[in-house]
Amino acid sequence: MQEPQGENGSGTAAYSGQDLREMFTAGTAWLEKSVPDINALNVFPVPDGDCGTNMLLTMRSTLEEAYRAPDSNAGAVAQAMARGALMGARGNSGVILSQIFRGLAQGLEGHDSFSGKDFATAFARGSTVAYKALTRPVEGTILTVARDASSAGRDASSKGDDLVPIMEATVAAARESVAKTPTLLPTLKQAGVVDAGGQGLYVLFEGALQHLKGETEAMQNGRPQVVPSVIPLVAKFPQLMTEKEEPFGYCTEFVLQGHKKLAPDKIKKSLTNDGQCLIVVGDEDLVHIHIHTFDPGKVLRHATTLGILHEIKIQNMDDQHKEYTEMVKAQAPPAEIATVAIVSGDGLGQVFRSLGVSAIVPGGQTMNPSTREMLQAVEAVPQDKVIILTNNANVIPAAKQVKGLTSKKVRVVPTETVPQGVAALLAFNYDADLKTNAAAMNDAVSSVKTVEVTRAVRPAKIGNIKIVRRQAIGFVDGELKAVGDKPAQVLLEALQSAGTEKSEIVTVYYGKTTKRSEAEALVEEIRQKYPNLEVELVYGGQPHYDYIASVE
Amino acid sequence: MVRIVTDSASDIPAEVAQELRISIVPMYVRFGSDVYRDGVDLKTDEFYRKLIASQTVPTTSSPKMKDFSEAYDKLAEETGEILSIHLSSTFSSAYETAVRASGRTKKECHVEVIDSRTAAMGLGLVVIAAAKQAQEGQSMQQIIKTVRKAAPKARVYVCFETLEYLKRGGRIGKAESLMGSSIRVHPIIGLENGEVKPLGRERSRSRALDRLCMLAEESAGVSGIAVEQGAAPNEADKLYAKLAAIFPGKDIYSSVFGSAVAVHTGPRVVGVCVLGG
Repeated sequence: MQEPQGENGSGTAAYSGQDLREMFTAGTAWLEKSVPDINALNVFPVPDGDCGTNMLLTMRSTLEEAYRAPDSNAGAVAQAMARGALMGARGNSGVILSQIFRGLAQGLEGHDSFSGKDFATAFARGSTVAYKALTRPVEGTILTVARDASSAGRDASSKGDDLVPIMEATVAAARESVAKTPTLLPTLKQAGVVDAGGQGLYVLFEGALQHLKGETEAMQNGRPQVVPSVIPLVAKFPQLMTEKEEPFGYCTEFVLQGHKKLAPDKIKKSLTNDGQCLIVVGDEDLVHIHIHTFDPGKVLRHATTLGILHEIKIQNMDDQHKEYTEMVKAQAPPAEIATVAIVSGDGLGQVFRSLGVSAIVPGGQTMNPSTREMLQAVEAVPQDKVIILTNNANVIPAAKQVKGLTSKKVRVVPTETVPQGVAALLAFNYDADLKTNAAAMNDAVSSVKTVEVTRAVRPAKIGNIKIVRRQAIGFVDGELKAVGDKPAQVLLEALQSAGTEKSEIVTVYYGKTTKRSEAEALVEEIRQKYPNLEVELVYGGQPHYDYIASVE
Repeated sequence: MVRIVTDSASDIPAEVAQELRISIVPMYVRFGSDVYRDGVDLKTDEFYRKLIASQTVPTTSSPKMKDFSEAYDKLAEETGEILSIHLSSTFSSAYETAVRASGRTKKECHVEVIDSRTAAMGLGLVVIAAAKQAQEGQSMQQIIKTVRKAAPKARVYVCFETLEYLKRGGRIGKAESLMGSSIRVHPIIGLENGEVKPLGRERSRSRALDRLCMLAEESAGVSGIAVEQGAAPNEADKLYAKLAAIFPGKDIYSSVFGSAVAVHTGPRVVGVCVLGG
């Protein structure tokens, strides 16, 4: 970003409209990376089929207008953003987002530049405006996240006027708030996801914060992560979904440009009886209307008497719902067996989830989960037969205790590493019974070799190998095979003793603190060394381990 | 002699069809506004080139009633009995269209239409068995009996590169549970009684081939085997060699997934079809 303009004596910077544009440009770029993840969080019957896409499109329109504003007057840019957001708002979350920008613009009105405190106050205004826009605000959504985040920003602004710490507090609170959304909204809990809109807002602000802090590398190489829920996440279990009998009607959405001055409140009143989930937001010139109605024609007819309609979108929600239930039914695992995996690292968690694990208990090398935590997960899944994948030797004893503490039938497949866990999970067969599955999963463990690279916590001598503290050490199936200063080189060396040349596929999971660029260079080196090998690089996000690799 | 008709979703190699006098009615393949008759206007090689290179997603549709009528009328010049065996009605309206055409031959001719509830060489093997009996001079009754017994025992097992094509074409069914993996896996899908079934995922291609062999081996009393591929000839060769070792002395057909089927499988697929005893 540009240097903020007008440093004052206390070290507090004043930010211009250009800074505001750039903050949210960065936030939007960050959001864009997260769109597929956010879309995946969707829970019907909220007809936001693609919440992430909707938010991204809303932001694009917001930015387009922002850059059209003629100068860098902060108030004017914010005003332009609010207008762009309103014009381009899509879906529930998009409309709410547009209201946050509306409040932000009101808060920054008349400001040539703004301070951290100004921003915090304006964002709080945004949250209030968003609440007001809805007839019946629902907690556990983007609204809650906006309120929690802005109130944390306000608290931080009482301690200092600098934008960076204020945004840090805002983003941290947003994250916390997203994690709690399933405790507030039963549909989220049932679906085992956090709120998509809330997640989107958090990512948007996180991107803006990274920009303020100049963390360009993190933005280029990193990816926004889906906030883990504070309560155990249980994968979707469609059998629990009841068929909704009453029809949903049509999700109808458009922007109304008034012939004369518009009165949003009046429009809202006149449409109240025409449907549900009514949102009418905007000003005298432009109003965005969103309603679930059985008679879109009536709504449109009424609106055309008031002005010109733009961006008209009408979707049959019954079709959407039917498609959704059919998709869910098709996905429904006929098996009555759940799988619970102990995994640490957000990337690895995602890998296990994508392979169909029912629940994840966080933990691993230095943070072994307790028997109680595993028991909770076992009890939380709806199935009464459960397979636990330990993925770490130290977890096995505690996992075995679970069996005696529950009335459910539990089998522990004692995988000692993440690659073993992945191999076991792939061997899971929906059609087979508990015993057969446990046996097949046990067998699958031997099909994979695990290479792990971590750092020595203290100097040691193992066999003939001398190790200095903090040196990188490489293990093959738990046996020390390589020592060196660079983790990547140690992995290469360890791969050699893992019989890699006779294998077909190597998957490298890189850790939380490992640079993606370093991991990419390493993978390139592996490819050159073993041209016949298929090499895959996956973000694991695991702590302590620079690299975990599976050799198959 | 009873004459046998099928559609191009049976993937029967041309020389086999010719030798056994099987009439194949082509399905239609559409790339955007360009419509082709499968295997006639668009050869399989060309199809795969387009499938990989083209931005447009191809779709297929069943032959028209006129196409079936023409095929039946032509054969009715030579025979009074036609057995028409088609792609599973769970995937296509070919069967229904054939039924509608069956009562309308210009010349008096008895046309019987059967819904195979299978596809690709699963269907192909059933049709080949019927054609062989026809050549032996068996009666229509006898051949129908054979087909009705054999078709439910046809199995198709395919190792996919991606399930996107199957999903896009709306034929994915329960196999959707195998999608969405964030690491590279090779999904293995079965086709059984007109239904797509998820069978598992393998990380390496060679283990996937072993899995296909295992699945073929588990089918009891195998009377027919075919290896099929789409833009994966080397893997098909490997699979062929493995199967030849498992089933010594058995004839194994080699075929290519034609465009009607490949629109749903996508490129780089390899599979085995077996006909149980």
